[in-house]
Amino acid sequence: MNLILVGINHKTAPVELRECLAAGAQDIGPMLKNALELPGVNEVMLVSTCNRVELLAAADSPETNRLLPQVLTGGRKFDPTALERSLYIHHDDDAVRHMFRVASSLDSLVVGEPQILGQIKESFRLATQAGACRAVLNRLLHTTFRVAKRVRSETNIGGAAVSVPYAAVQLAKKIFDQLDGLHALLIGAGEMAELAAEHLLGGGAASITVANRTLERAVELSRRFGGKARTMETLDACLAEADIVITSTGATEPVVTKALAKTAMKKRRHKPIFFIDIAVPRDVDPAVAQISNCFVYDIDDLTQVVEQNRANRTEEASQAELIVAEEVVKFRQWLKGLSVAPTIASLSTKAEAIRQAEIDYTLRSAGLTPDQAQAVDRLTRALTKKLLHDPILFLKGQGHASAETRRNQIALIKRVFGLSEEDQDS
Amino acid sequence: MTNALHWATFGAYLSGTVCYLAYVLWQRMGLARMGSALLWLGLGVHTGALLIAWLELGAFPALSLRQSLDVLSWAVMAAALLVNIKLEVRIMGAMVGPICTLLLLGATWMPGPAAMPGPALKSIWVPIHVVGLMGGYGLLALTCLAGLLYLAQERSIRAKQLGGLFQRLPSLGRLDSFGQWTMASGFSLITIGLIAGAVYAHQVMGSFLRGTPKEVFALVTWVAYAALVHTRFVQGWRGRRGAVLSVAAFVLVLFTFLGAGLLFNDYHSFSELIHFTGQSR
Repeated sequence: MNLILVGINHKTAPVELRECLAAGAQDIGPMLKNALELPGVNEVMLVSTCNRVELLAAADSPETNRLLPQVLTGGRKFDPTALERSLYIHHDDDAVRHMFRVASSLDSLVVGEPQILGQIKESFRLATQAGACRAVLNRLLHTTFRVAKRVRSETNIGGAAVSVPYAAVQLAKKIFDQLDGLHALLIGAGEMAELAAEHLLGGGAASITVANRTLERAVELSRRFGGKARTMETLDACLAEADIVITSTGATEPVVTKALAKTAMKKRRHKPIFFIDIAVPRDVDPAVAQISNCFVYDIDDLTQVVEQNRANRTEEASQAELIVAEEVVKFRQWLKGLSVAPTIASLSTKAEAIRQAEIDYTLRSAGLTPDQAQAVDRLTRALTKKLLHDPILFLKGQGHASAETRRNQIALIKRVFGLSEEDQDS
Repeated sequence: MTNALHWATFGAYLSGTVCYLAYVLWQRMGLARMGSALLWLGLGVHTGALLIAWLELGAFPALSLRQSLDVLSWAVMAAALLVNIKLEVRIMGAMVGPICTLLLLGATWMPGPAAMPGPALKSIWVPIHVVGLMGGYGLLALTCLAGLLYLAQERSIRAKQLGGLFQRLPSLGRLDSFGQWTMASGFSLITIGLIAGAVYAHQVMGSFLRGTPKEVFALVTWVAYAALVHTRFVQGWRGRRGAVLSVAAFVLVLFTFLGAGLLFNDYHSFSELIHFTGQSR
């Protein structure tokens, strides 16, 4: 049994090629069917996301190598050189390692991002639905999910935020513990502020107020969040109610001055405020940070946090690679246990050894003519061959049985014929 | 018997502490759970040991420095575990664990009671007085620890150093409410303890207050915490200011408990406590 994985990803292929190859949910069924019709292919699944298109197959025939990429193109015309340059083919251990790395998000554009595991799970579900996954891929994918989970829990690869809005939300959680019931205030109505506000609402923030120089724009934006709209004149009242303030105006002078923040703090009885200043030039006077319970992060601070987190992820990734390497070895051992070839070989070897010994013994004492001796030799050959025919057929017929049954059957044959365990490795 | 229980408690606290420290280092939830289970086990044994000692002695076992440290260790641990059920500041295990383990170990080397307690110490007001104050001190110790953690976390957020310390410490909001909650309940308990002490003093000695150093310091401590509770709940002095004040106020607790018990020689001091009969000597 061989595992073969062919595919392209964001590292090897430009987006134009990836979007051509990407398969929609409705294309996947027929593609899997095409792949299963190839000679030697027993099981197959397809992972198609915006960053990768990969076909994983369990096959018996070495020819599959050549044929599998054709399935990927799905009969469509492609510049063959461009495709060849971007295509990678992994076999056996490498294919297993690749699956583990992809699912653990080690191969992702943003290392540690959590979506890929869900996407692989969905791909596996589709393949199972199409009846394209059996013993080997079943086991491989379930192991893959377990490895990804292990990487996630034993390393900090997905721990820290690697985008500015998410970093802001994470910081807010370290200040307020949870976002539930918090009031957010947007000063200015920039795009980044909008994005951050969406993250806050997603995290459980209770309400969003938008304060803007022109009320029209404030009304427009606040309607999207189901919040209130205010003009800049009422800023002091807004500040007194806000827990998280996101500023993004185009003003050249600070909008939130130290005096303004100080009065607001007194009004809100020193409940903490978190200022997220994503405007350049800055909207929040840096001196505001000196006030007790006021926390100010500007865009540079947040970018720096994100950079630092990215670097940390790379460090964690090397630890994750160790986990992957360990699991690849474990899977290899399992796969070896599934293979019937060594058992068939040792069965034949044992039969031949017995036959040879008996022939030697008989010919030495019986005094036959060469013709007779040859006939006896032929007879014994035919006998052993016919006797072994059925057990060997039985073993070969296990290809579609479940992994557990297959292991049990192999073990049974070994016991019945008295084959030792070591023979497996020869 | 009590000696065996003492060391069993010590063992459970020590192993629980090790688990929690490992948790802080490697951030595995399993370690925190194991640590919590071990500390709870230790607290159970500890409670049993104290009850047995109480029965054997006939008076509440807080009559010497050894016993007092023992009871303080119990009170801090009980307060931490109980408060953590609701507020889940897991890192507290790693703070409280070593403290209680060391208190327990320290108790081993301190002088025990030099005689059997007289009948005056067997009043029901004594355990209320002692448990109220010790439980209060335990909770206020947690307030102080939460304040220290708050200051550390606030520092890393302000300095924009979001490294390992930032990741491991809980959020400011949670630490603040942890401090607020423990301070309010700790203050209530010391109030109860002081009232019980005054009632008892009135019964045996005829006056509510004798004006000994320990009593004076206890009152000063009480007034300080009353002021703290007031500023926090009425004026909203939370966050950094509240944290600094709760750390500072705990120095008073330490002095009242240890300083006044060791430095001055009156019936409250650790060496004289056992001889207390109610009559002035």
